Parts: sequence; C-alpha cells; structure tokens
Amino acid sequence: MDYLEFAQDVVSRAVERGVEAEAYVNVGQNTSVNVDRGEVEKLSQAGSKGLGVRVVRDGRMGYAYTSDFGTESVEKTIEAAVTLAEVADGDEHRSLPTPQPIPEDDLEVYDQAIVELPIGRKVEMARRIEKAALRYDDRVVLTNRCTLISQYGTVAVANSKGVAGSYDKSFIGGFVMAMAADENDRSVAYGFDFGSRLADFKPTAIGKDAARKAVGMLGGRPVPTQRASVVYSPMAATSVLGALSRALGADAMQRNRSFLEGKIGETVAADMVTVLDNGRLPGGIATRPFDDEGVPTAATRLIDEGVLQTALHDHYTATRDGTSSSTGNASRRSHATMPALDASNFYFQPGQEAPEEVIGGVEQGLYVESVMNTASINPVSGDYSISAKGFWIENGELSHPVNEVTIALPLQELLHNVKAVGNDLTFVPMMGALGSPTIRVDGVMIGGLTAEAQ
Amino acid sequence: MLPNESIRRVLEAGLAKGADLAEVYLENKESLSLTLDEGRLEKATQGNDVGGGVRVFYGNNAAYAYTDDLTEASLIEAAGVAAAAGQNANNAQVCADLTKGESPVVSRVERPFEEMSTQEKAGILRQMDDVTRQSSPHIVSVQCGYTETRRRVWVYNSEGVWAEDDRSFLEFQGQVAAQKGEVRQSSAIGMGGQVGLEFFDDRDPVKMMPEAVDTALLMLDARPAPAGEMPVVITNGWGGVLFHEACGHCMEADFITKGASAYTGLVGEKVGPDFLNAYDDGTIPGRRGTMRFDDEGAPTNRTVLIENGILKEYMWDLTEARRAGRESTGNGRRQSFRHMPMPRMTNTYIDAGPHDPEEIIGSVKKGLYAKRLGGGQVEIGRGDYVFTVTEGWLIEDGKLTAPVRGATLVGNGPETLRLIDMIGTDMSLDPGRGMCGKGQWARVSVGQPTVRVPKLTVGGTE
Repeated sequence: MDYLEFAQDVVSRAVERGVEAEAYVNVGQNTSVNVDRGEVEKLSQAGSKGLGVRVVRDGRMGYAYTSDFGTESVEKTIEAAVTLAEVADGDEHRSLPTPQPIPEDDLEVYDQAIVELPIGRKVEMARRIEKAALRYDDRVVLTNRCTLISQYGTVAVANSKGVAGSYDKSFIGGFVMAMAADENDRSVAYGFDFGSRLADFKPTAIGKDAARKAVGMLGGRPVPTQRASVVYSPMAATSVLGALSRALGADAMQRNRSFLEGKIGETVAADMVTVLDNGRLPGGIATRPFDDEGVPTAATRLIDEGVLQTALHDHYTATRDGTSSSTGNASRRSHATMPALDASNFYFQPGQEAPEEVIGGVEQGLYVESVMNTASINPVSGDYSISAKGFWIENGELSHPVNEVTIALPLQELLHNVKAVGNDLTFVPMMGALGSPTIRVDGVMIGGLTAEAQ
Repeated sequence: MLPNESIRRVLEAGLAKGADLAEVYLENKESLSLTLDEGRLEKATQGNDVGGGVRVFYGNNAAYAYTDDLTEASLIEAAGVAAAAGQNANNAQVCADLTKGESPVVSRVERPFEEMSTQEKAGILRQMDDVTRQSSPHIVSVQCGYTETRRRVWVYNSEGVWAEDDRSFLEFQGQVAAQKGEVRQSSAIGMGGQVGLEFFDDRDPVKMMPEAVDTALLMLDARPAPAGEMPVVITNGWGGVLFHEACGHCMEADFITKGASAYTGLVGEKVGPDFLNAYDDGTIPGRRGTMRFDDEGAPTNRTVLIENGILKEYMWDLTEARRAGRESTGNGRRQSFRHMPMPRMTNTYIDAGPHDPEEIIGSVKKGLYAKRLGGGQVEIGRGDYVFTVTEGWLIEDGKLTAPVRGATLVGNGPETLRLIDMIGTDMSLDPGRGMCGKGQWARVSVGQPTVRVPKLTVGGTE
C-alpha cells in the first residue's frame, strides 16, 4: 500500500463535503524484548497502523481517527470529523498550511539495518545490556526491566491545500534498571539509549551506565539545607529544558500561560545561555523532514546569548501572530491526537569548558547526576522544585554521594544564574529530545537536613 | 466479538508448539474528547481503537503478538508469531471448554453517553468557562476539557477462562492561570468516574471550578515555601496519591518477585503504625480502577495490603502469580491490546484511623499542611519519592497561618510509612481523575484520611 496515495485519497473524499481536510497516516512495526538473567521473559511483536483526519470549515476544526483502513471505516471517520467541526467554535486563524518546498538533505532518520535486524540479534543485544550491568561490579545485585525496543515505519501527511509528503523512520532503544547493594544501603539507577541508527547504538554502554550510577550512589545521604552552587549533569540539566521548551511555545505565550510571555527582545538569561531547537539535526531523535502538519522542519535560535529571540510556532500560532512563520514544530503523540506545538531537538548550545573544569570551579556545592519529578516544573509560574541525587563537591572535587534532597529556584532566576557551560553537549531521549552540556547554576536552594538534625 | 469456535482455534494455534497456556485479549475502545480554550470550543476529537492480542506462555516466559485486524485469520497469524519460540509441537495441549465467568462487580451504566448530544456536552464546558472568567479579574487563562471513553474487553485462555468487561469513563478537567503584575500561577482540577450520564444526578463539574480559581489566586499572594525537615500534614482524598506512589508501587509483584522492591520479603512484618490499614480494592462501584475482571480475565478483589501496621499481601498479575505458584489478585492490567499486562494498582487507599483531623493540624507547632497535591514519582527499588504540593499552608502553633507556593516533598516511602504517627477519621477517595504511569497508563483511584508525618523534607526556596 502506498500510504501517501492513501492519505491523498482520504483528503479527496473529505473535501467532497465542503471542508478543508488533512490526513495523517502512521504505520509501523514494533518489537520489544525483555530479558531476565539471560532468558527472554517477555517478547512482543506486531504491526500497527493509524489514520487521523482533521477538517476545517469556516475556522471550525474537527478531528477523528481510526486504525481500520477499510472504506466504510474511513467514511465513518471523515463523517465524524465533519460533524465535530460543526460543534466547534470558529477561529479566524484556524486553517491548514500551504505546501512549502522540503529540503532534500539526508536527515538520517531511517536505517535499513534496523529494519533487517533479526529477532535473534535483538535478543542478543538485550542480553548484552543486562550482562554489562551485572558484570560491572560485585555490588550490582540485580537488573530489572532489561528491554530492547525496535521500531520502523512510515509517516504520510496530505492536505487539501496541496501538502503531500511521506518519510520512513526507524528507531532502536534500550533500557535497564540496575540495583546495587552493600551491607548498609541499596541504590537503584537507570541506563538507557535511543537512536535512529543501529551503528550508534551501544547496548553495553547502557548496562555499564546504569551499574556505575547505582554503585556510585551507595551510601548516599542528605546534606544540610542551604543555598549553594549546583552543577547539573547533561541529563539533570534537561529538567530545566523541558519546562523551558513549553514556556517558549507560542501557544503558551499567546494564551498567557508562559512565564516568558511578553519578553521577546529582552534579556531572560545569562549571556552564556543560547537555546536552540533543530528539527533537522542529522540522526536526532526528534528529526524529520516535515512536522506533523506537513511544514518543513527548521533550526531556530530561541535564546541568543541570553536574549529571547522568538517562540516556537506551528501553523496556527504563526497565523495568529501575523508576523511569524511556522518553525515546523507541530507534533502528535499518535494518529489519535491532533497536532500540537512541541519542541524537536531542543538544547543548550555548548561552551568551551570541559565538565571537570565546570566542577573544578566550585568550592562547595552539589553535583546533580539525576533528578525526579520534572513534570512538576511549572512553565506558567516558573516554579521549579524537584528532587536530586548526586555528589557533594568539595574544593572542586566530587566527594560523598547525596540523595533525598530537593533543588529549587524559580526558572526566571535560574536562567540568569547560569555561571558556566561545558563543552559536552549530550542528548537525552526523554520528553522529546532534550540536549545539554554540564552547566553550573549559582544560588540554588538545596532542601535537606535542618540545622537541628545534624 | 468473535464466536467461541474461532477463539478456540486461535488458542489452539497458540498452544501448537507445546505452550502451557495461551490467552486471547480483544478490545474495542471508543472515545470522544472536547477542549474549550479562551472561551472557544477549539478541539473536538472522536475515535475508535479496535484490536486484539495473543499471549503464549512457556513456563515463566511469555511471548505476545497483536493485530488491529480482528479476524480469525489475523489472530491465528498473531498466535503463530507468539508461539514461534516453542519446540515441542508433538506435545500440544488441548484448549479447555470456555466457561463464561461471573463477577460480583456490577459495571452498569444507567444512561449511556449517546443520550446527550455533543453540543450539550460542549455547553457544560461553556458554563465552566463562564463561571471561572467571571470569578476574578486576575484570571488570564481558562481551559476546560471533557472526555468520555467506553472500553470493552474480552479475555479467553486455554484453561477455559472467558471474561467480558464493559468500562465507561467520564471525566471533566479544568486549568486556570492567574496573574498579578509579573507573578503568574496556575491550578488544575478534575472529577469523574466509571459512570454514564447519571454522573450528573449528583455531581456538577461547574461547581468544581471556583476551587481551582481559589488555589490560583491564593498562590499569587503566597510566600515561597520553606526548605528543610519539618512535620507535614497531608490532606485526605487525593492525598492518598502519596501512599499510591511511595508504597503501593513497591507492593506490585513484578518488582517483588525480582527482589527489586523495598518491600520484598516483608509479608508478616511491621511496616507502619498499629492503626494503619491499607487496601487495594478493584470492586468499589463507579471508581476509575474498578473492573469486573482484570485484563487477564481474573476477577478483581479487595486485597488487604496492610492490616494493623503489618504487611499482608502484594498485588499480583498472572505472570508473577505463575512464577510464585499462586493465584492472581486480579491486578493484571494493560493500557491497550498493544501492551502486555503487568501488576497494577486499582483503587488504593489508607483506611480511617483514630485521630480527629482538626487535632492533627492542631498538634503541629511549626510545619506544612499539604492541602492540594500534584503529581509525584517514585523509584521503586529503594522507595525514594518526590511530590509536588500545589497548595501548601504553613502551620504555626496548630493553625494554618499563610499559604506557601513551590513546595515539594521528598522522602523514602517505607520510611515515611513507618514514621506516620497520626491518621484521621476522615477517609475519602479522590474526586476521580487519577492516571498512573508505569510505562503504561492506567486509570486509578487513591484515597486516605488526613495523615501526619512528624518529619519530612520539604523542598522550598526559603
């Protein structure tokens, strides 16, 4: 089946009802392998498909979806979308995008090697993840949820303005939880890696990473409550980026739901802070030739040396803004959801210092290796308070492990308090594709033991 | 869905290579969702998700394959994929006669969703929006949403299990943002349940919105939360999310059988105060975690997790129960036919205790009252957790004195449970919006009375 032709056919059937129409088709093959002590504990294999139909009439929008591509089901889906558009309220800025030329550079989002990877190799890779974790250190007592996931498929988008495109994509990822224990303590850490190219995928590194972190945190303890410098690992720094990407969405700004609303052109961060979104980063997790409404993706400089330059846009927010164009950031979780604004590969531009130098510049402070509950960071208020684990920094060196503490500082202040940016840009495939080097932020409130309790 | 003869042929295809158990899961999910934003009904989505999967067990190992094409031929193909690892075709078991299961749980919808037009449902969102906008000039953003979902499931296995369930969920949610000068705060609220349109007989989503407004306005003027250790009193109802995250997840059997949970091996041991009793109950009528049968065809139960402070039982699905050579507790759940089941909570709560809720707050000299909680997260292996307090109050000399914002609670679940020293008489379940993520999404309910923890780390900025 040619999925682009199918999408175009759905569009032409929908326009007969006097609407603008868009069809989004996502078809894929998924495998997931779970091993436990070398045995294949869970194995899941299947193909799946989905169609989403969006229609607009007089600025009123309706959406319906199905996983059944039969003629009758497609007709029913179109009918449902048209009926829902009649219930919706009109919005003069609501329309579907017109076609724009899509650059033909190779974005490296599809790797035939992943498609051809036999099931036996996948099992073997999952075993390698587990083995690397268990062999790392005697104190690694077990692994859990050791999983390998591979996917490949096709996305096609067509609309009645003439947008028509499709691309193939592939994905391979691994995950493991390692538990370390000694006489006095136990500790748990995760390792994971995801990518679109088989050659870049390193199962052994996933297991080692989980084991190293778990062993390192044994004997962790809270520190006294205090205001201090915090050095974020790239993974921990993404806690700042996730909320920042939402606050930088034009939808949040236009609807008064961003702490950065009204600040374009102003200095919102220290001058060493530059934030980019690049949907065309070769091999990136969020890389694709066009976004989920068919607009070409782009590289966008959002904060340049501390000055807020622009917001992220999709077709709707750009139309409503009047002076902007879409930055190609329309995104959907699946065929069952309408496109919504989201960051692509979103990251802090790296600086010059090696990570050791960033840590070395801190006399007393906290090196944060991992964080929890980043979903609580509020892009409306800028409130930022999460839990952290890592190591205490003493005279520029990591000393004892630290756990059960919180780190808090409003994002407005946090961005201004960035004091050092490392050269080790690393992408973390969680919540999209967020990337950061090691960064240092001063004046962060660390919540831990009270003075009396020591 | 499909005739039983077809199901039996699919199960036998699953058994063909010597498997010891084959299972078929079929699902039909229909949903409608409406979002009103900036006073406009902006997003209206409707859809249908249909499919099925075949799971095959070889000892403790399971293979699964699924399809969105619900024909006998496609399911037999899936069964073949799932069975592929088997090497004992000469010893294929025969499928037992399918016997339709009975469950004491009644999931009856009195008035189906279709009896109200989409336009009328949108009308309720418009009322929610109106009330909110008129309530204060500081409200700068209002979003209201309605979702209805009907999920029908059929589960069969080669030991003769035949279970059907029909679950209808209705939910409303609202989000507001308030602004004064440069300060912005937001607040979210929701209600719902496993129910049809009879929901409206005794509940009104329009009336919940002022509560969200009050929180947002309070937080505009609130001072930053303190940081450090202090006594914390946690609200009843949704406050139970802390037990769900920090302890409940550590009692799910998948982490237990691996030895990867902080509660491994502790059945029969004291894990909390004498007056602590906690349950997971998948049979409570109308709650989000209620099921006639779980997603593996096992009837749900009221499982006593903790009795008089002693750990009694974990929550089991079929996979882990087989591993341990015991029965499932009816906690096997899956997000959809695209997912394999795992042990999950249903409706989980701490039961009423001996203390007067007012006395609990009155007992604290200097501490924090967590009146509204947001979401949280736990690391199951060690039980370390973190929670967001969306509306907090300082307690000074036994009285709530000032609202505080930006508070977070961190601690270790099993340790916090042991520390609890007061449990109120005011047990209640949450208003019906709980969604739990453990790699897969599941609707759940939580609950508790007012609870006091004498020492907990609060992460504020002061």
